[in-house]
Amino acid sequence: MPHDVTMPQLGMAQDAGKIVSWLKAPGDKVAKGDALFEVETDKATMEVEAQASGFLTHVTAQAGEDVPVGQAIARISESAEEDAPAAAPAPQAADALPEGREITMPQLGMAQDSGVLVGWLVELGAQVGPDDPLFEVETDKATMEVPAGARGWLAATLARKGDEVPVGQAVAVISAEKPESPVAQGMRAQASAPAPKPAPEPVARTDKAAQPAPAPKAAAPVGGRILASPKLRRVALEQGLDLGQLVAAGHPQPYHMRDLETLKALGARPVASTGVASVASLRLEAGIATSDFAAFADWAAKTAGLADADALLAGLAGASFGAPCCIAVERIPARRVFSVPAGRRLSDVTETESAPDLVLRDLRTTRVQAVSMGVEQVPVLTVMQRGAGLSLVLEFSAGQMPPERAIVLLSEFAGRMEDPLRHLL
Amino acid sequence: MAKAKSNTEDYLRMYTQMVRIRTFEDNANQLYLSAKMPGLTHMYSGEEAVAVGICEALTDADRITSTHRGHGHCVAKGAEFKAMFCELLGKAEGYCRGKGGSMHIADQSHGNLGANAIVGGSMGIATGSALRAKLQGSDDVTVCFFGDGATAQGLLYEVMNMAALWKLPVIYACENNGYSEYTKTEEIAAGSITARAEAFGIEAHQVDGQDVLEVNDLARKLVARARKGEGPFFIELMTYRYHGHHVGDINREYYRSKAEEKEWKDNRDPIIRFRAHLVREGIATEADLDALNAEIEKDAAEAVAYALDAAYPDAAEVDMHVYAA
Amino acid sequence: MREITLSQAVNEAIAEEMRRDPSVFLMGEDVAEAGTPFKVLSGLVEEFGTERVIDTPISEPGFMGMAVGAAMTGARPIVDLMFGDFIFLIMDQLCNQAAKTHYMSGGKLTVPLVLRTNMGATRRSAAQHSQSLQALVAHIPGLKVAMPSSSYEAKGLMKTAIRDNNPVVIFEDKLMYQDKAPVPEEEYLIPFGVANVKREGRDITLIGTSSMVQVAEKAAEILAAEGISAEVIDPRTIVPLDEKTLIESVKKTSRAIVIDEGHQSYGVTAEIASRLNEKAFYHLDAPVLRMGAMDVPVPFSPALEDLTVPTPEQVAANARRLCAGELIHAA
Repeated sequence: MPHDVTMPQLGMAQDAGKIVSWLKAPGDKVAKGDALFEVETDKATMEVEAQASGFLTHVTAQAGEDVPVGQAIARISESAEEDAPAAAPAPQAADALPEGREITMPQLGMAQDSGVLVGWLVELGAQVGPDDPLFEVETDKATMEVPAGARGWLAATLARKGDEVPVGQAVAVISAEKPESPVAQGMRAQASAPAPKPAPEPVARTDKAAQPAPAPKAAAPVGGRILASPKLRRVALEQGLDLGQLVAAGHPQPYHMRDLETLKALGARPVASTGVASVASLRLEAGIATSDFAAFADWAAKTAGLADADALLAGLAGASFGAPCCIAVERIPARRVFSVPAGRRLSDVTETESAPDLVLRDLRTTRVQAVSMGVEQVPVLTVMQRGAGLSLVLEFSAGQMPPERAIVLLSEFAGRMEDPLRHLL
Repeated sequence: MAKAKSNTEDYLRMYTQMVRIRTFEDNANQLYLSAKMPGLTHMYSGEEAVAVGICEALTDADRITSTHRGHGHCVAKGAEFKAMFCELLGKAEGYCRGKGGSMHIADQSHGNLGANAIVGGSMGIATGSALRAKLQGSDDVTVCFFGDGATAQGLLYEVMNMAALWKLPVIYACENNGYSEYTKTEEIAAGSITARAEAFGIEAHQVDGQDVLEVNDLARKLVARARKGEGPFFIELMTYRYHGHHVGDINREYYRSKAEEKEWKDNRDPIIRFRAHLVREGIATEADLDALNAEIEKDAAEAVAYALDAAYPDAAEVDMHVYAA
Repeated sequence: MREITLSQAVNEAIAEEMRRDPSVFLMGEDVAEAGTPFKVLSGLVEEFGTERVIDTPISEPGFMGMAVGAAMTGARPIVDLMFGDFIFLIMDQLCNQAAKTHYMSGGKLTVPLVLRTNMGATRRSAAQHSQSLQALVAHIPGLKVAMPSSSYEAKGLMKTAIRDNNPVVIFEDKLMYQDKAPVPEEEYLIPFGVANVKREGRDITLIGTSSMVQVAEKAAEILAAEGISAEVIDPRTIVPLDEKTLIESVKKTSRAIVIDEGHQSYGVTAEIASRLNEKAFYHLDAPVLRMGAMDVPVPFSPALEDLTVPTPEQVAANARRLCAGELIHAA
């Protein structure tokens, strides 16, 4: 049975070896244990023994070649006659190169993938022996002479001085016959780069750990990272609560489940792009034919020294909402928040920085005639001019206030705006 | 079982087993050199007479513990090529379903408690097996194979002490192949190795490990005596490993010369010596033995081909056998 | 129900199993007539003889290795390692041999052995006789690790260990040998991997191993007086670990402290805390805290040694901080 001669694995971390020389010639009779060829690795040079008896045939790698471990380089056959001409596919010469053996850029170090051609040491067309220095190579580590590795004539040079040639790429052709017209080329495209060593077949691995599900996006915090427990974050997300409200309301961090009730009390706001079902928006509309508010404001300023009409508006709205509370008076883009204490003294209404319980959106000076803005963080009461009177819209969610309370709020506010003096009664 | 056979059968079996080991190793070496085998391995070639001479004195009920250089013990104790090559290649049909590899082959069915990749790691196991035999009134004997390098492990002296105290049926078989990995034994071992066993009152012998008949004769006598409660015993078997410490240890002239290797191979080879003996005594002809060799080579080639084609374990086996049910 | 010491419980368990199964035997230093320095095994040699209660030389790797060989070939040895600290001496036999044999043999060989040893500081024994090294062993696949917290567990877990077909390491707290607890007269076993909820609670889960279960229970009492309801859980075996019970508890209480007497860094507490973080993260209202022994060799002086081990007061204090929503980490 013919026996393949392969490049042996000779070291713990070696993947190729250079054939220094064959100690038997093709057709020679060999006995198992005979020294067959000499190999050089990064560590040492050593003889490799024949692993079978027979005749050396099918030699496909010559002295000087670097051969990957495991690659067949010859065969030990039962007869010398079996040595058919090498069936190895001849590399297609790019530009009608002379026939002969290609000399490649050798691997000279463990982690080197190219070498710079310093210069040719044999004249083009001259005769060379296998041990004659052919060219000089510079790697990151050193400069060294590379022997021809074959006997014949330097028929072609495929790289010029200064070219950086990948390991394994042909740099010269040595022909058996004296070449008629030797060829000199610069480095050609990387056509004959050695095939990468096939990776050992890996055993399939099942990744037992389940792929982590994409994490749900938390609502963007108000001004930087909010310190809150994972559980509170989850519950807030589920209930459509925004932890930013705790920050806005000035509650100290970190937040835990114990802060949930406070957060709920601050009111719900649909958290965008979280997949949480949006909260149903409720809307109430009221109208009054006339409004004495402007006159009332004038009167209050003159007789009671209450010059801030916004504070008056907030006071009326707060009383309707249920004081004590905080009312924002919004006249886009301006927004002022007022603290409305219990009782009816409008002079006690003061500006604050707390979060509002109700937004009074004053659109009287705009041409907006109808609104449907949906639920916001807190109920929004929009005031619009309609002729001599006003149109009032209250938008809120069931979570913010029960509808009964909303009706009372809107009715009372409408009454107060129709006749502000009623507030004082 | 040995008694039932004629010498001829015993001798031919010993020859066969030695050739099987050599052939197995030649193939394993080829698998490594041709990069078809993952990891690396340690060749038993040259030491065949030790494993065969001893294991031919044992029954399947007798236990052995083996070493990183363990293919020889495994074959000698009765293992099959196919499951062994499959194990070397990490295939599902290997003796350990590909989980042990070269250095951990265990073959429970023939009493091989396993190779061990810790030098000296199995000395406790072997002695414990012998303790179990004594406690359970069983007459099996355990042989603990280890190399000269392992004599530097303290565990040996702890367990020899207990084995001697409790007269355990264990035989410590020290394969002295002259090298402790890459270092000459004389550089790592002070004094006499057998004298160390003798210090515990253990009867110790030194024997030519390249002479299978001498090894086997001694082993039979000691095994029989160990069965009767006269153990433990210690044998130092003078032998030689033809390869380096492992298959990749090829360039080794810095610690031993080629001339030395050649001397052992040419003049002291256990197979060549025994073959000559068989022919000389008229037990077999050269032609008989050539035919036997050819058959073994064929077996090995078939087993290698089978193992190369065999399937790797399913990925689902990766966390199987961490715990026993 | 009668109350017996932990020492008696271990002794009973071994005696019962040795009567039941002739393949069980005991070996170790001074296990026979001496009955170990802690007298845990006293009386066994009288019943079972020196054939099955074997005094060994002071050769820990030797007798540990022999136990592996005996186990692989049909016996069920119980190895007595006088101090848990000596586990360093037997690491190769335990971790390279016993733990891996079943796997490396593709399931063909088994190693049914029990290594019983101890742990626990505050016995004024200094750094080489006081360590709690369960984390070292629990790290190695192939070994099971049991940590009894009372006489009841000590008996039930030992009997299960002896019947298990794997190498099992049991760490007994050497300060608990004289502690009494109710143990039924009738036979029982405690399955591995089933945690015991010692006390139900609402606000925080205290997970303790071995003697740290008592520490957790005392902490729970302190906390109860303050209106904090603590749940106390004893995993009983850390390999296998009853993750499910721990996670369910934390889902309920949202907070947890894990207490183990091994060094805090890279320890049992870290492993359990990590699993809670991975599997109950969105139920956590506070970081899971680890409480282990200080990362120092155990000092000899009582004044120093007592500082190294978690106390009920420290556990309660940490629980209080977690329940109050204090900012534990540096923000």
